[in-house]
Amino acid sequence: MSAATARPIACPFCGLVCDDLLIGASGIETRGCAKAAAGFAAPVVARQHRVGGEVTTLDHAVDVAAGILRGARLPLVSGLGVDLAGARSLMALADRCGAVIDRWQSGVQLDLLRVVQRAGALTATFGEVANRADVVLIVGGDPTRAYPRFGARLLANETALYRDGPPSVVHIGPLSDAPAGVPLAAQVPVDTARLLDALRALGALIDGRRAAGGTAPDLPLAPLGDLAGRLNDARYGAIIWDTAMFPPGEGDLCTTMLLRILRSLNRKTRCVGVPLGGSDNGQGVAQVMLWQAGWPSRLSFAQEVPDHDPWRFDAARLLAAGEVDALLWVSALSPAPPPVAIIPTIALVSPATILRTAPAVEIRVGMPGLDHSGTIVRSDTVIAVPLAAARASGLPSAAVVATAILGRLEAAS
Amino acid sequence: MITRLTGGRVFDPANGARGDVRDVYIDDGRVVVAPAGGRADQSYDLRNRIVMAGALDIHSHVAGGKVNLARLLMTDDHRDTVAARGALTRSGSGLATPSSFVTGYRYIGMGYTAAFEPAMVASNARSTHAEMADLPIIDKGAYVMLGNDEFLLRLLAAGGEQEHVNDYVAWMMRATGALGVKTVNPGGISAFKFNGRTLDVDTPGPHHGVTPRRVIQALSRAVHEVGVPHPLHTHCNNLGVPGNIDTTLATIAAAEGFPIHLTHAQFHSYGDEGDRHFSSAAARLAEAINRTPNVTLDVGQIMFGQTVTASGDTMMQYRNRVFASPDKWILMDIECDGGCGLVPFRYRDKNFVNALQWTIGLELFLLIEDPWRIFLTTDHPNGAPFTAYPTLVRLLMDRDFRNASLKELHPAAQKATTLGSIAREYTLDEIAIMTRAAPARILGLADRGHLGVGAAADITVYEDDADRARMFATPEYVFKDGTEVAHRGSVVAVPQGRTHVVRPDYDRAIERSIKSFFDDHMTLGFDHFPISTQEIADGGGAMAEHPCRARGRA
Repeated sequence: MSAATARPIACPFCGLVCDDLLIGASGIETRGCAKAAAGFAAPVVARQHRVGGEVTTLDHAVDVAAGILRGARLPLVSGLGVDLAGARSLMALADRCGAVIDRWQSGVQLDLLRVVQRAGALTATFGEVANRADVVLIVGGDPTRAYPRFGARLLANETALYRDGPPSVVHIGPLSDAPAGVPLAAQVPVDTARLLDALRALGALIDGRRAAGGTAPDLPLAPLGDLAGRLNDARYGAIIWDTAMFPPGEGDLCTTMLLRILRSLNRKTRCVGVPLGGSDNGQGVAQVMLWQAGWPSRLSFAQEVPDHDPWRFDAARLLAAGEVDALLWVSALSPAPPPVAIIPTIALVSPATILRTAPAVEIRVGMPGLDHSGTIVRSDTVIAVPLAAARASGLPSAAVVATAILGRLEAAS
Repeated sequence: MITRLTGGRVFDPANGARGDVRDVYIDDGRVVVAPAGGRADQSYDLRNRIVMAGALDIHSHVAGGKVNLARLLMTDDHRDTVAARGALTRSGSGLATPSSFVTGYRYIGMGYTAAFEPAMVASNARSTHAEMADLPIIDKGAYVMLGNDEFLLRLLAAGGEQEHVNDYVAWMMRATGALGVKTVNPGGISAFKFNGRTLDVDTPGPHHGVTPRRVIQALSRAVHEVGVPHPLHTHCNNLGVPGNIDTTLATIAAAEGFPIHLTHAQFHSYGDEGDRHFSSAAARLAEAINRTPNVTLDVGQIMFGQTVTASGDTMMQYRNRVFASPDKWILMDIECDGGCGLVPFRYRDKNFVNALQWTIGLELFLLIEDPWRIFLTTDHPNGAPFTAYPTLVRLLMDRDFRNASLKELHPAAQKATTLGSIAREYTLDEIAIMTRAAPARILGLADRGHLGVGAAADITVYEDDADRARMFATPEYVFKDGTEVAHRGSVVAVPQGRTHVVRPDYDRAIERSIKSFFDDHMTLGFDHFPISTQEIADGGGAMAEHPCRARGRA
């Protein structure tokens, strides 16, 4: 690709939101990332809007969608793979029609957010890790599976400001989960089922206490002791984990233990935690919900005021229990189809989405960063990245459609 | 359409009106000259009412990542205080950290027509603007935080020229859509990343060897020379530390005569005298301010109750974590650029330190003579939520109320303060200066904060009430750009406000070194970092650009 014509473009297909890809006359240079390559090659399987399976105009589809929401006693807005503009518009719509709004599978993110709400956080952005971290601990599952350029973007910075060479990287977790392509200084082999106990032991060792080895004879105490020493001796340590890859049901406890470790280390030196969890603009959507309503997820407007409950307003639970009577599913950043539901479903889906059953209303919306410009937030929560339109599909954005539906509801009220 | 506000007592200090009874005419969002014969399409009978320009809050943490993290932390705040949606309004929650729509409605309901976010992290600018777009009705703007950004510290460490600092500051302000520049614990946030735990004005920082004095010198001068109206907005080193008055006075000296604004000065006016080694140094600061005309300040008054401190000052927030109530806190290092720290606080009148903090703030208000150089703030939410302003106004205007409040405090604090002996009571004219005319002037907003012909018709109408707290809590009418937007606290229209920015000029040669810094070190590219004016406009609402007048080298 000619450097003269190529310009940098940001990639919306994982929470790293790398913005060093190049777009030019011959296409997009994805810097070896298969996920980005697949994302930018998303096919257009459908671009027509439908009502009851029949092709119709956008205008009519919006009318029918508004009618469904107007008639519903408790609508659910979910999916929420949208850019910031989409999230802002969908929150306005949910507020107006008294809906529950919950990002699909927000439970993983909620584990982390609940620890923050209860105890706090000690964290940093990618740029701090890339420029300062001399010791990096990767906890649990291999982050490169969901974040392919993790190593390149956070660890392999050859021109780091404040470290001399590459960081010493240690992995704690199953050997089979060692981060792919990341040179390790040490490995602390621990089965997933024992991860929480290993973190407890690590915390004790960092504090100079003895790990409770008697009750955990299978824990690799010597490597854990070595790791504790590395973190204590680091000038600027970083502990990184993929929130989705903790042992099932233990995400909350593991996160709490890591926060304890971080607090302990910062009494004498510096160490920060960098949770990776926020693809499909999960962080951006949570932030919009926070600033507009005061809660990051699982929110109900049914009582005309924002109400948050992590159990009651879980989208999957509400659908399974039959507690909602209409579903507005919005997935613009990924081709995820709506869950099959017996209630009337309005599906705002990408042109790449394959729908096996026809929802009541099907509206094809553009993918941010592919079909239209937009803004999404990186997994490190601070940096919002501008996305460009990489192709001309002419599809409306989710924000435009949601605002049009809201307009119909307000015109009728 | 011409609207006439008839017969009110007008307090318009910028134009010399001190309660003069006169009519105000509005046309197309502006104050206009009286039409021939006083004809108007609609009029409001404002006899016995008090008319002022809309108030401006010069320092209030209303948007950005730090504010959002504070919301996340303050779960009880969002459970306990909720606001229902209305026909025109969105729902929301929170008192100390209100959600965005509620923030706009509450400000407007109190007669405030603008609030300025004082601590925008440069790398968080895009999110901050997106969030500000959801602050309804009021005008807004943000000060970008510099002085802990590694580019600047490296430039200073290498002995960089002032011209380069100026060009960089101007570039940053444009890139982030800023109205002003703030420095927070200059050099200290960066120092904390190198494990520095304290930093004094003349201490070389742990890595760069740059002193805070050098940062203050370079930035206060840069802001002045590129012609930004608002002086360097300065959060001094050593916030909250007993004895920090010396740091604060040294900070004034470091500006070397260039204009400088000290923010939340209450937190920086502490002595270390007495049995408890904590005392008021308000008189010392007031004396310095009274004789140093290049200095302005806002107070950052504390009021008793639950709140959360939200600050870019990670070094001091880490230190203050031991006071967290409830016991939880967040600390974040941000992108070789800044940081943020959130620590919930409960200020108690029976706590000696908190009680003395309350008296120190009031002493500053009452001992600083020139109302054009002191601004009413609680550093929302750090000292108290902005909804405490009406009570604060009453404390300033009503000595009996103030002294009665003083009697409720921790007895040792009552003994330690001279507050009870201060007779001064603010006048309505002084309140109008401090909350309208002066903040608009210090921010360079020529058409705000006054009611002269051509001014934006941001107007607040109060019923005269001896209980000044009640009076200032719920004005009878509030107009925004000529539209009636609130009536007795209820929102009646929801136009979108403006985002105020300045866009100083710079020598584009600086872009080469900024670009190479981004290419080598940053995780967001040089092309993607700047926020375009189109992006700000796409969020909704208009952008108002104010002129910069570049000043020659002093």
